[in-house]
Amino acid sequence: MIIERILIFLLFIIGFAAIVAMPNIIKKIFGLNLMNAAVVLLFILEGSRIGDQAPILGDGVKHIVDPIPQALMLTAIVIGVCVSALALALAVRLYKATGSLDINVITKRLESEH
Amino acid sequence: MKALTRMKIMLTILILGLAVLPVLLSDTPWPVQARDYLFETAKSDTGADNTVSAIYLGYRAMDTLGETLVLLVSITGTMSILINLGRNKVDEESIGFSLEPEKLPRHSLRTNLIEVVASKLGPIVLLFGLYVMLYGHISPGGGFQGGVIVASGIVFLALGTELKTKLTNTIVLSRIESLSFLFLVLASISGVFFESGFFGNPVKSLQNISPNFIILLNIIIGMKVGTSIAVMCIAMMGGSHDH
Repeated sequence: MIIERILIFLLFIIGFAAIVAMPNIIKKIFGLNLMNAAVVLLFILEGSRIGDQAPILGDGVKHIVDPIPQALMLTAIVIGVCVSALALALAVRLYKATGSLDINVITKRLESEH
Repeated sequence: MKALTRMKIMLTILILGLAVLPVLLSDTPWPVQARDYLFETAKSDTGADNTVSAIYLGYRAMDTLGETLVLLVSITGTMSILINLGRNKVDEESIGFSLEPEKLPRHSLRTNLIEVVASKLGPIVLLFGLYVMLYGHISPGGGFQGGVIVASGIVFLALGTELKTKLTNTIVLSRIESLSFLFLVLASISGVFFESGFFGNPVKSLQNISPNFIILLNIIIGMKVGTSIAVMCIAMMGGSHDH
């Protein structure tokens, strides 16, 4: 249990580091996706602590996992897809406007236009 | 300057790590009351064997409506940004995917390999997506999952085949998407006329509630999610203009 949590923590930190440290905006968006994936995994892992069968009722099914985190994360995954699609479209737009994906170059070029 | 920035980045990551680590290492027992309640009543309340479906289409269907709204808003934003860019002149040399002997236009996103694999795989993936969508109430799956698989089938078709089907036309797809949102709203208020409330099951019976309403909502949501994600993918591949 502790190993999975440390791995999820590392995934979250890697995503955050990509957002903070990477100058490329595509890599920042991928970092956002990584953080989203870490949160989804954490919820699924926590919900699975009280059972060991899939939450589908039927004959002989006794100890199902908690279905509520799974239903919540269904929402979170779709929202994550929406966010990354919108962010990638904005990245394309920025690239067309400034000709670069590097955030420092983008800032410099936008400042020099004013 | 460079070293200072690096120091700042390290400090930020360290602070975030210290803030998040207790959340991950907490040892509070997970509450079992909700699980037990759903285990006993989900089938008789909504008619679905799959308790996840029972939650997001039965107990919390309102939330699903909001979620599809978010999807609608996001696809509107993405499409308006991408369409306003227009199609600029393609640099034939720089973004070609095909190799020299394949005799395809250099700027197309096609190679013979992609064409052979994706066009054969597309219908099969579409069929599997429909299966996941239609059997979401008794097996793992549901509208969202099946919709995403349908979307990847449509993207396979758009990548693989030269002939223009209606299924890869963004105008047709976005019309299906808006229509399915209308259907979702109509289905959500249909329960009002049968005394079961907003998002209530309109087909009421005293003994066994049939999962028909869940199946209907799964189909509508699958159409919505599948077409909207397919539209976004096709628009990002630059295909929104060739029809």
